[in-house]
This record gives sequence, structure tokens and C-alpha cells, in this order.
Amino acid sequence: MALMLDRRLFREIDGVLLALILLQSLIGVVFIYSSSHFLPGAFYVRQLVWIGISLLALLLVLTVDYKYFVSLSFYLYGLVVALLAATLVFARLIAGTKSWISFGLMQLQPSELAKIVMILVFARLFAEYKSAYLTTAHTLGALAVAAVPLFLIIAQPDLGTATTFLAIVGGAFILAGLRKKAVIGLVLAGLVLGIGGWNIALKDYQKKRVTTLINPAGDPRGSGYQVIQSKIAIGSGGFAGAGFRKGTQSQLRFLPARHTDFIFSVIGEETGFLGVFIVIALYFALLARMFLSVPKARDRAGVYIIFTASLLITFQFLVNILMVIGLFPVVGITLPFLSYGGSSLLTSYVACGLVMNVKMRRFANV
Amino acid sequence: MPLDGIYEDLSLVRRRANTVFWIIALLIFLALSYYWKVQILEHRKFEELAAANRTRMRVLAAPRGLIKDRNGVILADNRASFKVSLVRENVKDESASYAAVSRLLGIDESTLRGRIALHKDRQLFEPIVIADGLGPLDVAPIESRRLEFPELVVESEPQRYYPKGTLAAHVLGHLQEQTPEEIRARPDRKIRAGEMVGKTGVEREYDDTLRGQDGSVYEIVDSLGRIQRATGWDYPVQGNDVALTIDWDLQAIAEAALEGREGVVVVLDQDGGILALASYPTYDPNRFITRFTPEEWGALIQDPLSPLENRAIRGLYAPGSIFKLVMSLGGLGFGYVTPSTTAYCSGATQIYGAVRHCWFAPGHGAMDLDDAIKNSCNIYFYALGRKMGIENIALAASRLGFGRKTGIDLVGEKDGLVPDEKWKKAAFNEPWYPGETISVAIGQGQLQVTPIQIAAMTAMIANRGKQVRPHLTPDGGGGIQVDGDPAPTGGAESFKGSTYEAVIAGMWKSANEGGTGQGARVADFDVCGKTGSTQTMSRESAARLAQAGREVKTHSWFSGFAPRDNPRIIVTVLVEYGGGGGATAAPVARRIFEAFKTKVEGGTWR
Repeated sequence: MALMLDRRLFREIDGVLLALILLQSLIGVVFIYSSSHFLPGAFYVRQLVWIGISLLALLLVLTVDYKYFVSLSFYLYGLVVALLAATLVFARLIAGTKSWISFGLMQLQPSELAKIVMILVFARLFAEYKSAYLTTAHTLGALAVAAVPLFLIIAQPDLGTATTFLAIVGGAFILAGLRKKAVIGLVLAGLVLGIGGWNIALKDYQKKRVTTLINPAGDPRGSGYQVIQSKIAIGSGGFAGAGFRKGTQSQLRFLPARHTDFIFSVIGEETGFLGVFIVIALYFALLARMFLSVPKARDRAGVYIIFTASLLITFQFLVNILMVIGLFPVVGITLPFLSYGGSSLLTSYVACGLVMNVKMRRFANV
Repeated sequence: MPLDGIYEDLSLVRRRANTVFWIIALLIFLALSYYWKVQILEHRKFEELAAANRTRMRVLAAPRGLIKDRNGVILADNRASFKVSLVRENVKDESASYAAVSRLLGIDESTLRGRIALHKDRQLFEPIVIADGLGPLDVAPIESRRLEFPELVVESEPQRYYPKGTLAAHVLGHLQEQTPEEIRARPDRKIRAGEMVGKTGVEREYDDTLRGQDGSVYEIVDSLGRIQRATGWDYPVQGNDVALTIDWDLQAIAEAALEGREGVVVVLDQDGGILALASYPTYDPNRFITRFTPEEWGALIQDPLSPLENRAIRGLYAPGSIFKLVMSLGGLGFGYVTPSTTAYCSGATQIYGAVRHCWFAPGHGAMDLDDAIKNSCNIYFYALGRKMGIENIALAASRLGFGRKTGIDLVGEKDGLVPDEKWKKAAFNEPWYPGETISVAIGQGQLQVTPIQIAAMTAMIANRGKQVRPHLTPDGGGGIQVDGDPAPTGGAESFKGSTYEAVIAGMWKSANEGGTGQGARVADFDVCGKTGSTQTMSRESAARLAQAGREVKTHSWFSGFAPRDNPRIIVTVLVEYGGGGGATAAPVARRIFEAFKTKVEGGTWR
């Protein structure tokens, strides 16, 4: 039943969700153009190509029953752990982190793939678990499964992906049900690990990013620079914005990572609160469409897939819009669908593909 | 209705998922509210920050006004040059940046750090000048590596240039960058950081006139400081020119006459306008145009001959026999002698129990006043001094402007000193000894005068008592004694014209009838003058040195004017350790008189 191209099935595709995804992607292309037209490389064209590739991947995901993916999840898990380990060893150093691996012309981030795989792994792990709350043994087992790739990602080091990773795992646990004492235990363990990690594992520049959140003006030329410039860009946008290609913060390059992590600042500067409101409203519609698909899932695995995949998109969206306005440390999390970047786009599309996959196969007899 | 066996009960997980979604919805709403706060409520603040980010005001330095001589010859000019400044705000990594910048500019890193440290109190975005006086070829490599050095700013600026080098250096003065403290002390002058302002001379005295009005331009820059466009031009206005009374030709002759010596030549016209003012040794003010010349500074400051000092207004000397003119005026004016009063000079005399010598050991014989002036006879003036007493001598000196500034339009002028009983009491808490009066009578003792005071006195004698204030610009002589107190007992005009005529008769004889001043004689020009040779040590030590076969040289003075009637030019010469005034200083004065006469007769004097 792997390749099941049934006409009836395709009528069940969530067209509204697909349209919202494409709309957001095109808005992204417009502002990628605005913020990089003066740079060589035609980023907006490349982004359009990536949207095409991602759309194809999404459709490809739809053709295979999600149950088949779930059944393969442990193998995929093994593969992704191997890739992450290999990346650590072999990957070229790009931008100070070992997170990229080359496949001929294409470069891929195995950590992006790991996000998708974790969605499937947790769907598999918790699908058979029907009690209201997780037992200690289950909790520890699931934690161990999550810990291995997480550790490899932190070692790269890729703080952004690691944080997103934690969001997926945390979401799955919330859904499976955590007892009070488990929550307390996890919080305590988190504190111990967090304090230990702060003192041992975190690099100075990462520590600085966290302290900068508390006081951005303390280091205006260093890591605080990005936040200050981004906030200036957003604030100077006012109600209606400076106009397309007229934001001085982005056009004169005061804004860092304009077409990638800080694309939302460009939107804020050039279209003002009006544009911010429209994009956030559209995003809310998209997320609602995803989350509210939960009741459409036929089985427990489906619920987990829809919930964690939606959470993946939501978490990155929230962190990004809080990060660019200075309410969250600059951790290098892109804005799904809008930021420039193939890997991120592909992951987001595939995650949405999984949601749509579950939704269209809601009838058991199909 | 689905069957229980096919569909499991998912209500619990669905409820949990739903709860999480609404929490997320709330978070999104809160995020949107914060965007409202930043974009709508705080919009103005961030709009200003964005504007400050991209606009940078650049000062367009105004060229200083030119300094010209009486005929319009340019003595201080401007030329274009480049300066390089560093903006600390744009420095990413201090040690790497400073090392690279010092290599690029060819200055060592400690020097560079020193120049930056001078202005460490300034705001981070303010450019600090680290190199200046550069030509286009010097800055080309910097401009071509613009992107590598976002912290450097290259600007052109007008730079002072003295086309005649050392000529009139002490008159023109030089420029210096003001320290941050100096700038803060005078906010009204609006001196921009890094501006070169007058430190000495005319550059200092007329700084407000010479300084222009800086302009400015607002430049839109990108994050690397690259200029996108410029708006709001406010063009600089050049400072006003200053025309001096100096005649550069006479100035050059005066300086040439002093070449290789230490001394002063002051040339005035009859109104006190300074035609030439030379102080030697001298220096090249062009060396101070760049902000950074610590080695040359140190060398000039430590030079034992102090070339930076303007000896004409700051050098304190005993007037020697020149003071006999003051004695003569006082003696006649206060009625102690008449022109026909005689004294007998046998080469030496005994006063107050001490033997006093005339400079001419065989003795001058019987002398009346004009012969005493002509021969500069000490014995005559010992006798006159004894009769007058120190208080009347001091009064005569004060009437002729000694003991206070002449009011020349140059900063740093010294007062000099006319000793009297009150001064002795205050300074040493000792009574005045009559023997000291005898020393003062021939211009020695505690008397201290500046060459410019001697020149002013000579001008007043030439004018038969009309007060004169030496000045460098035509309107600089507007008032008499602006900074000094007017003499409480009257000025030079308190002596009668006939008194002056009697003294001038002696001065004329000195130059024209084989007197001590004959070295200054110019045919058909009626030079009147007086020489002086001042002891630079006590007579006893001089005698000991002379016995040891060492040459003892006195400071050599000449001061005079010409022609006798309707005087037009006053010349004062001082040569340090020049020997006898008649032998050394008078011939220098003659060269000036001759040159002036030639110019007037040739019709080239305006």
C-alpha cells in the first residue's frame, strides 16, 4: 500500500492549508527580494525553486500512508543518528558550526531531517500508550530516545535546532500526559542540566546572546547589535511602514541576516504594523488549520503527528517573531515559509505534508 | 457512526492538544500586542534611532583667512590636504584594527594608540584625527581598501601654509590643535574637535577674525559607513583676511641681518605700525601645521637658544646706555640740567665711596648734554642720576612706557621692571641704596626692558612726545594702552617739545658727528640714534674673565629713527653678546635705514 494514488484520496487534500502555506511562501519571496535585491545571487529566484522542490516533496509525502512512515520510524531514527554523527566528523565548518553536509551540489542539514524523524518516532513510541499518564519507565525511555540526537545537535553546536527539538519532545510528552512529580523531576533535571550546561557546554558567544536578551545595550557592537538594529527596524515601521524596498534599516544593511532569520523585521519596517498584523493573522489561520485537524486524526499516531508537526511550525514561528523584537535570545531560528533557505522550507513543507497526510486518511476503511 | 473496535477513544489527547493550541493563540496575541507597543506607541523613538543610524553630519572645515603684508603679499596661505580619522564605534576588534591601521598609515602602534588616547573622553562615534597633512598619493591606498577599514574616515581639509617659511615666524605665530579641556573652557568659540587654532602671534591674536565659519553636510551612510548621498549642504565661509603693517622686504632684510646670531630687530613707522619684527633664532611655522610633531616640538622647546620665544616682546634685557635718553629727558624735564649744563669726564669718578668708570678710560673731558649723549658718557649720567634720585628716574621711565606692556597686538608681552624704593621694599624687604641709583642711571642694575618698549620709546621721542602703541594691523593701533594702566603721572607728552629737541640733537650727533652711533649713519637721511652695550655679568667677573684671556661680550643695542625732522622710520636692534652697540647693532640698523630710504626714493614704498 505504499504508493496509493487514489482519486478519492486526493479530493481529501486540505486545499485551504496548502493555499495558506503557498501564500506565506510568496509573501516571503517578496521580502526576500526587497532585502537582497542589491546583493548578487538572486535569492528570491532560488527561493522560488526551493518552494517548487518543497511542494513536490509535500505531494510525495501525501502519496504514502503515514502509517508506513511510522512503521519505518525506528530505521529512520538509526539513519538520522548516523548522519548526525557523520556530520560532526566530516562536515565542513560553515558559519562556525558543523551542521551542514554536502551531497554533491546539494547541501543538507541532517538536523532538519532529525526534526521530521522525531515526529514519527514519538508517534510510534506513544501510539500504543493509552493510559492517561506516562509511567516513569516510559518517560525515561522516551527521554533516552530523544537525548541521543539532541546531544549530537548540541555538539554541532546548533542551539536553534536543539531548542526546536526540545519543543517537539516536550509537546509529545504533554500530549502523552505527565504526572505532577514527573514534571517537577523534569524541571529539576532541566535546571541542573541547564546550569551545568551554562557553565560547561555553552560557548561564550552563546552565553552572551542570553545575557544580551536581558540587556541588549550592554553590548551594542556585538550580539546586542542584531537585536537593537532589528528592533529599530520594526519600530521605525510605524503603522503603515516605510514602503516596499524603502526601509533604510534593511536597504542600508544595518539589519543583519535580513533575508533569513530577520525577514520579519524587514516586513515590520517596510509594511508597518499593518503588514505585521496581516502576516501574523494569516499565520494564525494556518496554525489553527493545522491544530484543529487533530480531531480528524483516525488514530493515536495520527494525533501525535498532527500535534507535534504543528508544534514544530508554531514554535519556530513564535520564537522567531519574539527573537526579532528582542523578547527571546537570538538563537538562529528561521521563520518557517518566509525566511530564505531550502532546508528549512523543505522541513516545514514536509511537516505540513504529514499533517495533511493524516487528515486525508481519516477514514479507516480507505 | 463508527464502531468502537475500529476507532479508539482519543478524547483525552484531543483535549490536551486543544488546550495547548489556545495557549499558543494567547501567546501569539501577546506577541502582537508587543508589536503594537513597539510600532505604534514607541514609533517616534525608533524612527529617530533609525535616522541617527543612517545620517551622519560631517563638518566642512572653513579655511582660515589669509595673512598679508602691507602690500598684499601673502604670508599665510591655505592649501588642500587630507586627514585620516578613526571612528572607534566602527572598530570591531581593537587590537587587530589598531595593528592593521598602523601598518596602513605607516605609524607605529603605540603612537597611534597615544593619538587616540588623547581624545578618549569623546563620544565613540566622533572621528579622531590620527594622521593629517597627507597628499592625494598618501590617501589613495586607504581609499582603495575602504571596505576593509570601516573605522577610517578620509577627509580633505584646508591646511595652513606659510609660503615664506621662517619669515616673520614670531609675528605670524603658529597653529595648534586645542586640547579637549581648552575646547570645553570656551564653548562660545565653537571650536570643533581637531581644529587647528592660533597658538601664538597674529594667528592667536586675530584668531576670531581669521577663523571662518565651518559648514556642514548630512550624509546618508550604510552600515559600513559608505556614503549613499548627501543633503543639507551648508557651505563653509572662509575667515577674514588680516592685512599687517609688516613690509616683507624689510622683514627679510632684518632677518638676514640677524642670521647666525641671537637678537631682535624692530622696525616701526612713526605711528607705531610695525614694519618688521625679527627675533632670532627662529623656526618654521610650517612644521606645526600637522597635528603630530612631538619630536620637533621637543627639540624646539628644549633648544637652549629658545627659538620659539619672541624676544622682541618677551626678552628682558638691561637697556644699558639707551636708558641715557630717559635720563636726559627726565633731567631736562624735571629741571636738574639744561642743555648747556656741563660735567667733566676724566674716565672715572668716585661716588658714594666707590670708584665708577666711564666706558672710555682716557675720559671725555668737559661734556654738555648733547655731547654726553653723542659719546654716551657714563660720568655725566652718574652725576645726573645722583642729582635726580631713583624716584624721579623711575617717574621719567614710567612716562616713556617702561615697566608696563606697550599694548602691541601680540599675546605674551612682558612688563619689564623699573626699580624704585617701593619695589625694593616689596621684593626684598630692603631699603634702597644710593649706589643702586648710579647703576640705574646708566641703564644697568635691576632695570629690565623689552626691545619693543625701547622701540616704542624711540618712536615717542621721534614724535616729540606723541604717544605710540606698536601695532601689527592698521586698526590695531586705534587706542593707546588698552591692556596696561595709563601712567598715573602722565605720559611722554608731559615733556616739552624743546626737551625732546635737545635730546634729539644729541642723538643726531651720535650718528652723524662721529659719536657712538656713527655706524648707523646714512648719507642725507639724518639718522638720530643711541647705542647701548649692556653688561651681562658683574664688572668684577668680566675683569677676571678678560684677564684669563677670554672674550667678554656685552649685549649690543641700537635704537634710532630717521629723518630727524618728520621722522618716518624707527629702528631698534638688539644683538645678544654682540659686543659694543656701536660696532654691532648700529650697522644692522644702517642696513634697514638704507633699504627704507632706497625704497622711498625709488617710489616703491606705499
